[in-house]
Amino acid sequence: MILVEALAVYALIGVAVAPAFVIFGIARVMPEASLTSGARLMLLPGAAALWPLILTRWLEAGGRR
Amino acid sequence: MSAGFRAVQWNRAKLVYDAILVAGVTLYIAFFIAIGRWWLSPPDDPARWEDLGIRAFGTCAFLMLTIILSIGPLARLDRRFLSLLYNRRHFGVLTFLVAAVHGWLNIDWFLSRGKGPDLISILANLPNYGSVAHFPYDTLGIVVLLVLFLLAATSHDFWLAFLVPRLWKALHMAVYVAYAVLVMHVALGVMQSRHSPLIPLLLGAAAAIVTVLHLIAGWRERAIDRGTGTSRDGWIVVGAPSSIPDGAARIVAARGGERIAVFRDGDRFGALTNLCAHQNGPLGEGRIIDGCVTCPWHGYQYRLEDGCAPPPFTEKLATHRVRIAAGMVEVDPTPLPPGTPVPLAHEASAKVVPLPP
Repeated sequence: MILVEALAVYALIGVAVAPAFVIFGIARVMPEASLTSGARLMLLPGAAALWPLILTRWLEAGGRR
Repeated sequence: MSAGFRAVQWNRAKLVYDAILVAGVTLYIAFFIAIGRWWLSPPDDPARWEDLGIRAFGTCAFLMLTIILSIGPLARLDRRFLSLLYNRRHFGVLTFLVAAVHGWLNIDWFLSRGKGPDLISILANLPNYGSVAHFPYDTLGIVVLLVLFLLAATSHDFWLAFLVPRLWKALHMAVYVAYAVLVMHVALGVMQSRHSPLIPLLLGAAAAIVTVLHLIAGWRERAIDRGTGTSRDGWIVVGAPSSIPDGAARIVAARGGERIAVFRDGDRFGALTNLCAHQNGPLGEGRIIDGCVTCPWHGYQYRLEDGCAPPPFTEKLATHRVRIAAGMVEVDPTPLPPGTPVPLAHEASAKVVPLPP
C-alpha cells in the first residue's frame, strides 16, 4: 500500500513538472534543440516519468548561467 | 536527424509499416474474440466477453513483444528482416498501448463488480509473494506495464539526445527485463487458473525462440570477431578487395572488441566505427546510398571520407585509415577523432561484386 502511495506521489510530481519542462525547461537544458509544438506534447509522458533527472539537469543548467 | 525534433518523423515507408501494424493488431483481436465466442459458449454471458477481451489484448501484447525481441537477431542473421527493424519504436509504442488496454480491462473487471478493494488486497497480501501457487501475478503485469510505459514515453529522439545514446540504450535494454517478467506473469496466471498444457507450451516456445535467436546471432558475431588477422604493423587484414560487396561493408573487430565497418564504394575503400551516432545501430550492415553510408536502423547518413553527416546535420563518427597492401584491404584499428577526414584507398583493378538482393 505504501508502495502504491509512493508511486502516486511520484506520478503527481511528474505531472506537475512535465509541462513546465517542455514549455520552459528544454530551452535551458538543451538550448540548441528546436522542437515543434507537437514534439513538445509528445515529450510530456517521458518528462513526467523522468522528472528527478529532468529537475537535476534543469537546476544544473540554471546554475551554469 | 539532429537539426530539429518533430512529433513523429513519418515518411511513406513508416506510414505503411504503421498501417500494417494497426491492421495486424485489429485483425488479431477480432479473430481472437470471434473464435473465442464460437469456442466458449454461451456467447451472451457478459463476463465471458470481458474475459475474452482481456485475453485478446494480453496475448496480443505478448506476441508483439516476442516479435519485437526477435526482430533484432533476425535482422543480423538475414538482411531481409532489416525492413522490420526500421520502425521498431512504433511497434514498441503500439505494444504498450495494447498492454495498457489489457491492464485497463483487468482493472475494469474488478471495478465493475465493486471489487476494487479486492484488487488492492490481492496486490498487498505480502505472504502470498512467497508462494508460487498464490503469487499475485497481477503485480508482475503492473511491473511490465510500467516498464513498457517508460520505454514508450522515452522513445522519442529528443530523449535519445537528452539522455545520450549510451544511457538511452541501457534504459531500453529494460525491454528484456519486461519480457522475462511478462513470461512469469503469464506462467503464474496460467498455472493458477488453468491446467491445459497448450498455453504453457506456447509460452515456452515463444521464450525459447527469442533466446535461441539471440544465441545464434551472438555466436555468429563472435565468429566474426575471431576471424580477423593482423599485418606486421598491427593493421587488421579485412580481405581481398573483391570480398567486400560494392556499396556495402565487411565488419571486423579490433583487439578491444570495437567493431569497424570497412566499406567499398566502387573502387574506393574507407572505414568508420560500426556504431551509428543515433542509437548505436550496426552501420556495417547498412549500404551506401546517395554517396553516404546509411544506417540500416533509421537511415542516418555519414560521408565515408570524414564520418560526418551531410549538412544541415551535425553527427560525426570516428574514422579509420584504410590501405591496400599486397592485394589485401587493411584497416588501422586505432580510431581517429570523430569527423577526421581520411584519404580513401583506391583499387582500380578491384573486381566489383554486386550486393546480394
